Amino acid sequence: MPIEITMPRLSDTMEAGTVIKWNVKEGDAVKSGSVVADIETDKATMEMQCFDDGRMAAILVEAGKQVKVGTLIALVALEGEDIASVKDSVKANGGAKPASAPAAKSATATAASSTTTAVNQPDNRYGMEEFSPASEDGPRMRVSPVARRIAEEHGIDVRSVRGTGPAGRVIKRDVEQALENRASAGATAKSSTITTSHALAVSTGGVQTPGSPLSLSLPGRDVALSGMRQTIARRLVESKTSIPHYQVTMKFDMDRLLEMRTTFNGKLASSGVKLSVNDFLIRACALAMAEHPYFNASFAGDHVRIHEVVNIGIAISLPAEKGGGLVVGVIRDADHKSLRQISLEAKALGEKARTKGLSVQDMSDATFTISNLGMFGVEHFTAIINPPNSAILACGAAVAQPVVRNGALVVGTQMQATLSLDHRVIDGAMAAQYLASLKEFIEEPETLVV
Amino acid sequence: MSATMSNAHTRVPKNPLFREPSLLGGAPREIEFRDAIREAMSEEMRRDKRVFLLGEEVAQYDGAYKVSKGMLAEFGERRIIDTPISESGFAGMAIGAAAMGLRPIVEFMSWSFSLVAADPILNNAPKMLYMSGGQLGCPIVFRGNDGAGGQLGSTHSWAVEGLFSNVPGVKIVIPSCPADAKGLLKTAIRDDDPVFFLESERLLSVKGHVPEAEYLIPFGHAIVRRTGTHCTLASWGRPVIFCMEAAEILAKEGIDCEVIDLRTVRPLDLPTVVESVRKTNCAVVVDQSWSFASPGSELASQIHKACFDDLDNFVHRVHADDVPTPYSSKLEQEYLPNVRKICEAVRSATYRA
Repeated sequence: MPIEITMPRLSDTMEAGTVIKWNVKEGDAVKSGSVVADIETDKATMEMQCFDDGRMAAILVEAGKQVKVGTLIALVALEGEDIASVKDSVKANGGAKPASAPAAKSATATAASSTTTAVNQPDNRYGMEEFSPASEDGPRMRVSPVARRIAEEHGIDVRSVRGTGPAGRVIKRDVEQALENRASAGATAKSSTITTSHALAVSTGGVQTPGSPLSLSLPGRDVALSGMRQTIARRLVESKTSIPHYQVTMKFDMDRLLEMRTTFNGKLASSGVKLSVNDFLIRACALAMAEHPYFNASFAGDHVRIHEVVNIGIAISLPAEKGGGLVVGVIRDADHKSLRQISLEAKALGEKARTKGLSVQDMSDATFTISNLGMFGVEHFTAIINPPNSAILACGAAVAQPVVRNGALVVGTQMQATLSLDHRVIDGAMAAQYLASLKEFIEEPETLVV
Repeated sequence: MSATMSNAHTRVPKNPLFREPSLLGGAPREIEFRDAIREAMSEEMRRDKRVFLLGEEVAQYDGAYKVSKGMLAEFGERRIIDTPISESGFAGMAIGAAAMGLRPIVEFMSWSFSLVAADPILNNAPKMLYMSGGQLGCPIVFRGNDGAGGQLGSTHSWAVEGLFSNVPGVKIVIPSCPADAKGLLKTAIRDDDPVFFLESERLLSVKGHVPEAEYLIPFGHAIVRRTGTHCTLASWGRPVIFCMEAAEILAKEGIDCEVIDLRTVRPLDLPTVVESVRKTNCAVVVDQSWSFASPGSELASQIHKACFDDLDNFVHRVHADDVPTPYSSKLEQEYLPNVRKICEAVRSATYRA
């Protein structure tokens, strides 16, 4: 029997994947562990390994095509098996078998756009070696039909709802509870219904939805959404429409921190370590959590989960020539790591993101996120919370400017940072207190070293 | 038990006598289920000379269960006919009479005994119109006691709706109260097709208000016996009474049940059930026949199809246990769909188990 290769589930939320590139042709020898294809998921592009020795008998899904998880995409003939007869048996069976009837529909629906995707996206953008084949059997989402329908009608993502039915089935009362929570959180149900279901259409259909009539009536060029772009669209609409955001800004004197950074980097130059301002901010944000646990927390419907670990996510933009986009790399246990270690890890994450691409592990479990546009000269901006975080810090550039110190006008270097907060978890005064702690760490940077 | 409301969905019956008994005025008149059946037969026999009754002991003995009491005196031995103990013979003879233009009512002492007449009642009567190319109809009513509950043992306790509802061409009526029994039987006698009218020996002595005024109840026209918002209980015949009792108990637990009495399983009034399930998102079907390939399984399947996106749980079913009917009284009560089983099914279906 030939070995069937199906579209693997490479992340918990992956429902479909796109074959970005086949590394082998039909007839090529393959061996266990060899990378046969690059697969783009909703989060990243990963390398797909073969687990058997043999020869690639049939490629059933061409590069650029998106198919549902579980769909048969290739056949490997084992030793002694005739490639031609394996291929013929595939033809007799009608080619690529979709995972299920609806899968067939979604594959057809996305075929048109994926041609563009393949053209616009260079091969092996952020290839990735590690994935666990065990994750192919990820837990199945159980939702009662009426719960699913109500959720869809109200733009609620059932994956965010805690199921109280047997085996965690999401049932009517769970969705109703989620609706109630959303209503009491002050979100305007009507507007979020429209925008969220719009975003869902974008992410599930995989095709650009004619959301704005304006864009259709004017001449232009359509760019298909990559898996990452779909995820950004879905998650950020979800965040911005379901989380009651507000912002609090503070200015920080950066002179002493910059001075310390220069000194350190001079001494560390030989060891290849170069601390960035962002490394100091990561450590400062992480240390401030000890006094402000609600900044390291998630809103969970009927309770707030305060996390035990402090994992700081850092927003990393990807270069346009690599297809652009944005990922969040995670520095785990950042409150227990030295500046040097944080710096090394942040640098490694950035490089990996821009070259090979981050693994799901690299991007999972952030409990707080920092976005920094200071290097681009931006002085002030606001960021959208990265769910399920409760806060995100948007940092601008450290800029020399006139400041009043001890009653005299002097030149000082200051940075503005703006917290975006989930008001269901954090109130304004709490935000001010967190920023005050952050200010102490930043303006007395010795505290970051001890 | 009385009907508290009529169907919310409106299908206007053609016959002006199609009227809901609970909505008719008049003085209260409590009579037994058996009296309601007799009134229906007698009224129709007075109205239509073609109608006659035959069966074992229906004439001189007034019927094994006294249903036809006094009818021999009124209608005479040409229209109230005692037959030998030969179901196959007298059922077949009556089918011939119906094909020739009369309108017989055949009483089976028990529907369990109709099994020896399987060929005439299942193979001849329901197919007469079809196989004669429309030349011969078969306006006949078979009626008798159906279901367990009276310690009659395995062979005399059949709920034949499980077997017979599988056959195209039959109409199956299973009333749950005296008023329905009368209105549905009058409709059955006037119907031009074979009608299987299933009474319960356990209900014959049950009393209920039956209006003086004449009325008929159309087939395929369910009634909501109790309104509720959490779970739809759909049943027919005697188990409707258990559903009403269960609904009382469940109401004390905060589970608000809607009880629908289907009245006929062929035709089956799906729209009334669907309307209710769209509201409650939850359904429990209660059927006294065995579960495998039963009217209950059919209704559950139809609900799943029509209400798929409205259901919060799969449709639960309560049936007689899948064993021959026990003789022991305690075992027999446990074997039947009962109040305890219905309560458990509703709690499970509403995730409150």
